[in-house]
Amino acid sequence: MTLDPITPAFSPVDWAVPVFVVTIVLEILLARFRKARAVYEVRDTATSLGMGLGSQIAGLLTAGVVLAATLWVYEHRLFTLPMTAWWAWVAVFFLEDLTYYWFHRLSHERRFWWAAHVNHHTSQHYNLSTALRQTWTGGIAGTWLLWLPLIFLGFPPAMVAIQKGISLVYQYWIHTEAIKKLPRWFEAVFNTPSHHRVHHARNPRYLDANYAGILIIWDRMFGSYIPETDEEPCRYGVVHNLGDFNIFRVAFHEWMAIGKDLAGSRSPREVVGYLFGPPGWSPDGSRDTSATLKAKWRAREAAMPTPAPEQIAAE
Amino acid sequence: MNATLIQLAASAALVALMIAVAGWARIARPFAPLDEAAARTLLAGEFPGRIPDRVWIAGDGAGAVARSGEDALVVYRLGDSWVARSMPWRLAMVAPVRRGRVLLKLRDPAAPMARLAVSGVNPWPPETPAEALAA
Repeated sequence: MTLDPITPAFSPVDWAVPVFVVTIVLEILLARFRKARAVYEVRDTATSLGMGLGSQIAGLLTAGVVLAATLWVYEHRLFTLPMTAWWAWVAVFFLEDLTYYWFHRLSHERRFWWAAHVNHHTSQHYNLSTALRQTWTGGIAGTWLLWLPLIFLGFPPAMVAIQKGISLVYQYWIHTEAIKKLPRWFEAVFNTPSHHRVHHARNPRYLDANYAGILIIWDRMFGSYIPETDEEPCRYGVVHNLGDFNIFRVAFHEWMAIGKDLAGSRSPREVVGYLFGPPGWSPDGSRDTSATLKAKWRAREAAMPTPAPEQIAAE
Repeated sequence: MNATLIQLAASAALVALMIAVAGWARIARPFAPLDEAAARTLLAGEFPGRIPDRVWIAGDGAGAVARSGEDALVVYRLGDSWVARSMPWRLAMVAPVRRGRVLLKLRDPAAPMARLAVSGVNPWPPETPAEALAA
């Protein structure tokens, strides 16, 4: 059997579209009849789905550049890895997922890439429609470059594209409050609704955590894993939530904020800080980053009086 | 190109269907207008560590402004959720009231303006110039 190394034989995302529609309707119906936990606000849902639709159009604008760069790198590849070998699929599964982890971590911890990714986190709800609140500016931000080393190594572009699609489809179903926890072995290895709820939470305790795509093992390996706890339910959204449902504000607000900061910059250091520092960076430290929010939260926790043993017993 | 357009049109139709189902289901979070206790709880969650002095509640209960030192802590309702920002208290006090709403410029591209309902019971500004001077 031969497979075209350039053009994917199928698109996992396109195949999954009917599943997206059916499961979103199902989640709404289950919540409506109190069979599952889900909260849908109609304008929030419209914004999420509109962003998903818009991302399809935005993707077309940079598709040519991405394809040209990918083909150029593939022409200069180190090896030729066969699409028909099972081990090549196993290898691309792990390596693509590792790439996704670092892409996602970069997209949260450096402002330039956060500007492209933040829209996915702007809903104050966590349901299946939130999964479709996708970026419009990812192509411009250039995060697709991070996958080129796989192509340079010799994985066919079609193979990488299919694996990226599988990862995206996998990450769809974990955007739900309807599933609480899965069996312990599954939670230990795979990204799950519980792990990803933490990722979407704005509580200081949960910030900058659980960047996984399919496998949560990367977060455990690289120190970014935080488990969901019953004591502190997740509050969703971003630290400073958006002021309206304007879809263009969702797509571009952080780029606008960067522009405003750059316009007021007084030195190259400030320019670099505003562009590539962590979100919330400011020259005088007057704004909060995830690190300062977490430090303040830890200080508040430490300052809280510890209950006496008899108090705990009484509870 | 035609295939792409057909795909986009079909996607748009499905999006409209899902929005309609979400609207029909009415499963948003319940909303209760803010009173002072609820506003203080909300402010404590949004501005941990900040102590609000006095709290002004919007006429429709869909927002609140509290003074904390030199800052105005602003919360307002968006859909079934809340948005929070702080701004200088002195600027909040001179914010214009138009068509029954005080317009608070938040100077943030992500949330440029809060429009809070003003009523006869809760006039704006909540402090007289003399009170502001005394504070």
